[in-house]
Amino acid sequence: MQPTLNAAVSVTELGVDFGNFKAVNQVSFSVAPGEIFGFLGANGAGKTTTIRVLCGLLIPTRGTVTVAGIPYLSEESADRIKEKVGYMSQKFTLYNDLTVAENLNFTASLRKLERTYYLKRKKELFDFITFDKPESTMVKDLPGGMKQQVSLAASMLHNPEIIFLDEPTAGVTSAAREKFWSLIKSLAKNGKTIFVTSHYMDEVEQCDRIALMRSGELIALDSPKGLKESTFPHPLYELTPKRKIPYSEIEALRSPDYFDSFQAYGLRFHASPRTAQSWNEFLMRYSEDFDSQIIQPTLEDVFIRLVEGQNR
Amino acid sequence: MRLNATLLGFVKKEFAQALRDPKMRMLLFVAPVMQMTLFGVAISSDVKNVRLTYHPRPNDTVLQHVYERALSSGWFVPAQVTTTDPFEQIKNGEADAVLVPPPEGLTQSIGQGEGSGQLQLLINASNVLRAQSTESYIKSIMAEVLKTDLHLLPTSSAIQFEMRILYNPTSRTAIFMVPGVMSMLICLITILLTSMSISREKETGTFEMLVSAPTKPWELILGKTLPYIILGMSNVPLILGVAVFAFGIPMKGSLLVLFFSAFIFVCTTVAIGTLISILTRTQQQSMMGGFLFLFPAIQLSGLTFPLENMPPLMKAVAYLNPLTYFLEMLRNIMLKGGDWKVIGSHLFVLLLMGTALTVTSFKLFKTNLS
Repeated sequence: MQPTLNAAVSVTELGVDFGNFKAVNQVSFSVAPGEIFGFLGANGAGKTTTIRVLCGLLIPTRGTVTVAGIPYLSEESADRIKEKVGYMSQKFTLYNDLTVAENLNFTASLRKLERTYYLKRKKELFDFITFDKPESTMVKDLPGGMKQQVSLAASMLHNPEIIFLDEPTAGVTSAAREKFWSLIKSLAKNGKTIFVTSHYMDEVEQCDRIALMRSGELIALDSPKGLKESTFPHPLYELTPKRKIPYSEIEALRSPDYFDSFQAYGLRFHASPRTAQSWNEFLMRYSEDFDSQIIQPTLEDVFIRLVEGQNR
Repeated sequence: MRLNATLLGFVKKEFAQALRDPKMRMLLFVAPVMQMTLFGVAISSDVKNVRLTYHPRPNDTVLQHVYERALSSGWFVPAQVTTTDPFEQIKNGEADAVLVPPPEGLTQSIGQGEGSGQLQLLINASNVLRAQSTESYIKSIMAEVLKTDLHLLPTSSAIQFEMRILYNPTSRTAIFMVPGVMSMLICLITILLTSMSISREKETGTFEMLVSAPTKPWELILGKTLPYIILGMSNVPLILGVAVFAFGIPMKGSLLVLFFSAFIFVCTTVAIGTLISILTRTQQQSMMGGFLFLFPAIQLSGLTFPLENMPPLMKAVAYLNPLTYFLEMLRNIMLKGGDWKVIGSHLFVLLLMGTALTVTSFKLFKTNLS
C-alpha cells in the first residue's frame, strides 16, 4: 500500500518489535483530514503501540509512517510531528497535585506557546469544554469527566491538526462520555482529525471508520455500517431459550452445522446462520427450545465475531 | 486450612511480585551480600596510617627514636611534606600529626635534667576519633622509648608532652561530626528527591505527556534537575545555621567558598539522582536505588570510619565517592579556614564526576518511549 496523498495519517506495513515480540505487524491504513477514526482491539492488540508511533513517541521497527504530511524518519521528524499532533493518553496526563491553571501553564511552557496566544487558546478551550470551575481548583478535586475534558483541552492548547485519544473515556460516567463525544464530533466538524481508541462499542459507532486490531495485526477496516454488513452477510438472530438448555447442547449449536457465529449475550444468544437452509434446519429441530427474532448487528457483535470469536 | 490456603496465596503473590523483577532480585539478594562484604572489609574504627612527621633538629637521636618507633608500630606512616612549617603541614593536609622538639633538640633538652624535655605534638583534631587515638599511641610510644632506649621509668617526667589539638581544641565530637552530618544530609536530600523525579512521571503516566511535546532531552533533564539543585542549595544555609548557632561549630573559612563548593557538590548529587531516575521505572525502584548508593557512600566517605584504615581497593571506591570530597572540603573550610590546594583539587574532582554523570544521563535519556 502506497502512502495516501493528502491523508492526515498514512501508515504502510508498520511493524513494531519489542525484542522478539511483534507488538504491531504489517499494519497499513490511512486517515483522511477531518475524519473520526476509531481503533478497536482487545487489550494487547497493538492499539496503544500504534498510537504512540503516530504521535512520535515510539520509533517504528518497520514500515513507513506519515503524519500531518511529515514522514516519520528520525528523532527530528518526530519533533515536527509532535508539533502537529495532540495526544491524550489513557491516564489523562494531568498532575493531580497541581491546579487546573498550573497544569495548563506547564503544558503551554512545554509547547513553548507565546503568552497571549496561550491565554487566548485557554479561554477558547474553556468555553469549548464549558469549564465553569475556578482555575485554581486542584485537578484531584475535579470529577472524572471534568478531569478528562481539561486533559483534552491541555492536549489541544497548541491547536494540533490531529488529536490522538487513547481510551479517553475509560472510567468516566456515561453522561460525561456523551458530552466528551459531542466535543469530539464538534472538533471533527471544525476540520480536526480525530484518532480514537475505546472499549465502548456504542461510542465507536460514532466514528466515520473503524480499524480492528488483533494480535498486532489489522483484521478489518471499514465504516461501522460496512463492518456490520461484511461481518454478517446473513441476518442476525437473537435466540431466547424457552427452557434451561444444557451446556453440551449449547456447545453443539456452536458447531458450524447451523451457524457461522453463535455468541452468548447474557441469557440470550446472537446467532448468524450459515445459510438459509441451515437456519430452516435449526428451526425444525429447536423451535420448541428457542424464541427467535431478527436483530440489527451492533459493533459489539462485529467485535466479538472478529476479535474475540477468532481467539476461542 | 482455609486460612492457610489464603495465607499461602498471599505469600505466593507477594513473592511473585517481589522476585519477578530482576532489579528487585538484585536489590534483595546481591546488594546485601556486596554491602556486607564491602563493609566487613572496609570498615574499621582502628586508627592506622596516621601521617606523622617531625620537625628535625641537628643530632636529635631521641626524637629520631620516637619517630622510628612510631613508624615501626604500624599505626603511623611517614607524611610527605612540602613545607617546613608544622602548622602549615597540618593545615594543607600533608600530615595528621607533627612532633616538634624544643629548639635545642629533644636529646639535648633531656640531658638538662628532669622535666626539661619539652615535646610538642600537633594533631589535626578535625577528626576527633583519629586525634584521640593518635595522642594515646604517641604517649604509649614515648613510654616505650623512656623505658627501653633511655632506661628511665615509664612514669618519668624526663619528657613533657605539650599537645596542640588543632582545629578542635576541646576535642568535641560535634565539631568533627557536624560537618560530616551536614554533607550527608545534603547528599541524602538531593539524591532521594531527584532519584524519584523522572520515575514518578513514568509511574503516573505524565511522562508520556512530557515526551509528547517536542521537548529536547536537555530541556527535560535540566527542567527536572534545576529545581532540585535550588532546593538542595536552599538547605545549605539552613543546615549551616544549625551547625554554627546550635552546635557552635566554627566557620573559619569563606562563606562564598563554602557555598560554591556546596553548589558543585549538589550538582553532582543531583546528577547521581537523575541517573538513578532514568535507569528505574517506578518510585519504589528509585528509592531502593537511592539507598543502594547512599548507604555505602556514607560509610565510605570518612564520616565515621577513617579512610586511611581501608584496604586499597576500598579506598579507591571511597575516592570515587563525591561525599568523600565534599566532607573533607567542608571540614577544611569550616574548621581550618580552607586550604586552596585541598578545595581546588576536590572541586576539580567533583566537577569531573558531575560532568561524567550528566553526560551519561544525556546518553541514556530518551524523549520517546522506546
